[in-house]
Amino acid sequence: MKAIDIAIKDLTRSFRSAFAIIFMFGVPLLVTGMFYFMFGNTAENGGFDLPKTKVIIANMDEGGPRFQVNPKNIPGGREADTMGDLIVSILESDEMADLIEVSFARDPETARASVDIQQAQVALIIPPDFSEQFADMEEGKAVIEFYQDPTLTIGPAVMRSILNRFMNGMSGVKIAVNVFIDEADTSDYAMTGLVVQQYLDDSLALSEDMEGELLDIRVPVSEQKNEAEQSENLLLTIIGPIMGGMMVFYAYYTGASTAQSILTEEEEHTLPRLFTTPTSQATILTGKLLSVFLTVGMQVIVLLIASRLIFGIQWGNFTSVILAAAGIILSASSFGVFINSFFASTKQSGVLFGGILTVTGMMGMIKIFAMNSAIANKMGDTVSMLVPQGWAIRGLMQSMNGEPFNSVLITALATLAWSAAFFVIGVLRFNRRYV
Amino acid sequence: MSNMAAIEVLNLYKSFGENQAVQGVSFDVSQGEIFSLLGPNGAGKTTTISMLSCLLRPNEGDARVMGHSIRTDAMGVKSVLGVVPQEIALYEDLTARENLSFWGKMYGLRGLELKKRVGEVLEVIGLLDRANERVGKYSGGMKRRVNIGVSLLHKPKVIYMDEPTVGIDPQSRRSILDSVVALKDQGMTVLYTTHYMEEAQELSNHIAIMDHGKMIACGTHDELVKLVGGQTRIDLTLHMDDGKTIDAWRDIEGVTHVAAENGTIAVLVNDSNIVLPKLFEAATNHSARITSVAIREPNLEAVFLHLTGRALRD
Ligand SMILES: Nc1ncnc2c1ncn2[C@@H]1O[C@H](COP(=O)(O)OP(=O)(O)O)[C@@H](O)[C@H]1O
Ligand SMILES: [Mg+2]
Repeated sequence: MKAIDIAIKDLTRSFRSAFAIIFMFGVPLLVTGMFYFMFGNTAENGGFDLPKTKVIIANMDEGGPRFQVNPKNIPGGREADTMGDLIVSILESDEMADLIEVSFARDPETARASVDIQQAQVALIIPPDFSEQFADMEEGKAVIEFYQDPTLTIGPAVMRSILNRFMNGMSGVKIAVNVFIDEADTSDYAMTGLVVQQYLDDSLALSEDMEGELLDIRVPVSEQKNEAEQSENLLLTIIGPIMGGMMVFYAYYTGASTAQSILTEEEEHTLPRLFTTPTSQATILTGKLLSVFLTVGMQVIVLLIASRLIFGIQWGNFTSVILAAAGIILSASSFGVFINSFFASTKQSGVLFGGILTVTGMMGMIKIFAMNSAIANKMGDTVSMLVPQGWAIRGLMQSMNGEPFNSVLITALATLAWSAAFFVIGVLRFNRRYV
Repeated sequence: MSNMAAIEVLNLYKSFGENQAVQGVSFDVSQGEIFSLLGPNGAGKTTTISMLSCLLRPNEGDARVMGHSIRTDAMGVKSVLGVVPQEIALYEDLTARENLSFWGKMYGLRGLELKKRVGEVLEVIGLLDRANERVGKYSGGMKRRVNIGVSLLHKPKVIYMDEPTVGIDPQSRRSILDSVVALKDQGMTVLYTTHYMEEAQELSNHIAIMDHGKMIACGTHDELVKLVGGQTRIDLTLHMDDGKTIDAWRDIEGVTHVAAENGTIAVLVNDSNIVLPKLFEAATNHSARITSVAIREPNLEAVFLHLTGRALRD
């Protein structure tokens, strides 16, 4: 009972301090909000500002006798004599202008060379028999050579995705053309152009969703979803981990600064005074630990709910979120007790604990803070497991990604083990101090 | 049972490394009296109080508070005890009422009784009208009063007050001294520490004088003053002295102690009528001028001077 009184007293004090409130709730929500608006705005204005992919095309297509399209229906209004011309005109169209920058080479060697010297990121080589192969109903195999800078990922991926869409559309076209040719008189060859056109329109419509889909790594955007929903989802996949990272970081901060109140109370003489009342040392320490736990608990629960309401972040299913949150709360509180038990005074801890929390926090959340770097990603997987923050955020991410309950549980148990170790060491050290 | 000592102190020792803070202190405090530990800073008063409130474990010795041993029954000691620490030990971001309410709970008070006691104590310390203000906004004197109030909540039989008047205005000091007497009148036993001789003299039934961790004298005020014998204390101020005058005074027959502090020189003499002219003569011989002279009734400062050769005030 007295332990609870001590904890309530500490909670009252924490929540009365504007400084504490700002750090517990204000900063994590504000930072996330900043990202939300930063990314939210660009998402609304038609996607993130990806650097344009530079594409160099060597169009060697010599056309085929039976290939004809209606020029006025072709995107970009260009007259296309060959299948190759058609691809070129699509890549040059206004719809693609945001994503790619097209230039031309006279022959395949020049095109490849300009990728080699990094003037372009992708070279597309359309072979001379492309139209012919395309029009060959039985055995034709129309292939475009795709030559890319191996050190790059995003630009060529954008291109490949566009082309895949296009080629998928084209194989549809090819089947349609075959069907058409089978059923039509040979003199109607000119009509094939219209059929192709129809499929092209479809595949271009699809490619408008391209950016969203490319960046949206975890949530595959189904094609039926409207654009607004897509950019919202995309935003959340970025905001979610940031909010999670902020929450873990500041929960640890709260844990450490609340546990620091044991030292503060010693310096402000209220701890010795507590020892003059008929209250056992175990009760006093329990009360202090309880207050750390409850303060961090309040913070995490409020942040989970607030970020759900404000940003619409989906933290996962209920039991997983509970497990992940328990992991964060327990590890942050016990880590706070643990590190403070090594400090003789708040003077010492004030200088050191900011540094310790920053370093371990960065280690644990390296993946979130260094978003797009491949090296950070790889490093993050191992380094983050060396600090409790890594496990705490891992549980939350697993819950967010909808991973099976068992994975979340295992992470939670590992986090619990960390917490137990910190807790035992911290309590033993504090106990020894005050006997 | 009523003639049992409230506090019995038996040969307490405490050292911090090399520093022997308390070296064999023993005394008895009767129930219902005010007992003062008088001594300069660093004498070992707080260390003694800390051992008697079970905050520090003595290296040697024991003490009983209302029959509870500080070694074997700390909870028993703490439950009969109210401690007013030397430093203000309050939560500044909580109001006076919240502070009292929290500390009341720590003393085991609950519910209606707690509420009633908090109200009563607020009235006693005269802060009822400002009870809902944060302690951080209070003046030093008001904080001191809350600091005392906290230790009265559970109506302890014994109360320790460690220099409760340090650093406050004369008015607050007066009210604190009055309240100490009021506590005694209600039957409480008060162990009071101070380095102000006037406070010890005014309040105490018994006084123990401490210096360098040792208790150098103990008794009633009158008993202690008798230690000085028929000696008189003369306070003088000197103009243009190079230290030789004071040395010369020490050699005068009938002078037992000379101590200089902040420009005032305290001289303990057997008979002021005989010695005083000799003091002037010595000053003249060393070209110094006596600018003021006061002959004082023997008091606790004289006792301290007599016993230690130093003035009480540091
Ligand atoms: N916690 C401590 N650690 C080391 N030395 C201490 C401690 N507390 C007191 N002392 C030393 O013990 C001596 C007595 O101090 P204290 O009991 O506070 O004297 P007083 O209360 O009479 O001024 C002093 O020399 C002081 O420096
Ligand atoms: Mg002291």
